[in-house]
Amino acid sequence: MKTPRFLTVMLLSAGLALFAAGCSVVQKGADVLSGQGKISQKDRDTIVKTSEAVRSTFADLSEEEEYYIGRSVAAMILSKYPASKNDGAAQYINLVGNAVALYSDRPEIYAGWHFLILDTDEVNALAAPGGMVFVTKGLLRRCRDEEMLGMILAHEVGHVCARHGLQSIKKSRLVDAFRLIGQQAAQRYSPENLAQLTNIFENVLGDIAEQLIERGYDRKYEYEADRLAVKFGARTGFDPDGINRFLKTMVGDSSSVSGKGWFKTHPSPEDRMTGLAKEIGSLSAVPKIDPVRTERFRQFLGSLK
Amino acid sequence: MRTPRLRAVLLTLLLIVAIGWAADTLVVKIQTTQLRKSPQYFSQGLAALKAGDRLEKISESSGWIQVKTSGGVVGWIHSSAVEVTKFNLLAMDKSMKTQATASEVALAGKGFNKQVEDKYKSKHTEMNFAAVDAMLQLKTTLAQIEDFLKKGKLGESRGAK
Repeated sequence: MKTPRFLTVMLLSAGLALFAAGCSVVQKGADVLSGQGKISQKDRDTIVKTSEAVRSTFADLSEEEEYYIGRSVAAMILSKYPASKNDGAAQYINLVGNAVALYSDRPEIYAGWHFLILDTDEVNALAAPGGMVFVTKGLLRRCRDEEMLGMILAHEVGHVCARHGLQSIKKSRLVDAFRLIGQQAAQRYSPENLAQLTNIFENVLGDIAEQLIERGYDRKYEYEADRLAVKFGARTGFDPDGINRFLKTMVGDSSSVSGKGWFKTHPSPEDRMTGLAKEIGSLSAVPKIDPVRTERFRQFLGSLK
Repeated sequence: MRTPRLRAVLLTLLLIVAIGWAADTLVVKIQTTQLRKSPQYFSQGLAALKAGDRLEKISESSGWIQVKTSGGVVGWIHSSAVEVTKFNLLAMDKSMKTQATASEVALAGKGFNKQVEDKYKSKHTEMNFAAVDAMLQLKTTLAQIEDFLKKGKLGESRGAK
């Protein structure tokens, strides 16, 4: 009798593993089967355990979880840098950013795309998971036209689309979190589980902050974001060379090199320009800069002071 | 020995049927969105959709999916707004109807959610969540983006996608 029963469990487990999603769902699904007397409590536990193993990487985080992680990363950034109070400038930056996001691979994101100017002279741009993107006044002042800004925002949108922030999370944290989440059937967490899960959440934020703010992403992620920027920016209609023209302003800038922000967290401008030129060269049609956009960018820059 | 073997076969069949059915069912995974008349953002909105709404897939065209709502409205939705359901094995339990996807972990009140954020906030009062809320309050409408693209000779105005 043992073999067929084992087969039943294995088939169910394998099926559930292949198509598994949420532990709670699996738990309830197993409950359903268990309640109907189809499988034993032991078998049920096996299935739940299998599902826990399935939800184990950053890719298994839901959109809502990504949003809540992103909110806390954004709160960290905003406790470090003040937000600009200029409403007109905020509206413009959101229009440029949302235009690019609309032509990205992820036009729809949990709570929509949001862009914010940080009131600092440091040169930097950052993207929290969930579509919250930050750009500093110092960086904006280096831009000469809308193409430069559009392409920088397209690079940040690229990081979010490829979920680079979430990829910084150590796998063990997620394994622990998913196990804990799978353990509780109730809608709200018990105080003990909540405390444990919040501890894991803090470590998750620490992993992301270390990469995003302190050390910078792995170089391969920066190059991937550049490739995505060319794709999204050109689709929107921006001259993708805008990002190269921006990077040229950074070459040999010792004040920035020795300072914080961009240079600490990005590969050298020279290395990036080589990759970008190749990417732009592979486009079938390259949009050109338009004076209408440059003029509205100048107005925006004038209002930023 | 027969009964368990038969049970295994039946369960496998059930799983296959459930998976086949699941392939045509989608769940909205973002907070809110619109069902559109044609496969493009600036086309007329037909119905408001929210996270957890289930849709029946009809066809697909360059990143857009033609769907039917539970209310019978047919329209288009961008693929980034939905997730294909998994686990329709659970459709046998009617109460599970809105919880059958990966994203539904969060909808079921699980995962990193508001409860976890609130606990984190209480431990870290130095984190500026008020500024995050203010950032998220600034909404950019599709009409504003369309106007911005048009005036800047971007997007459809330059003959792009």
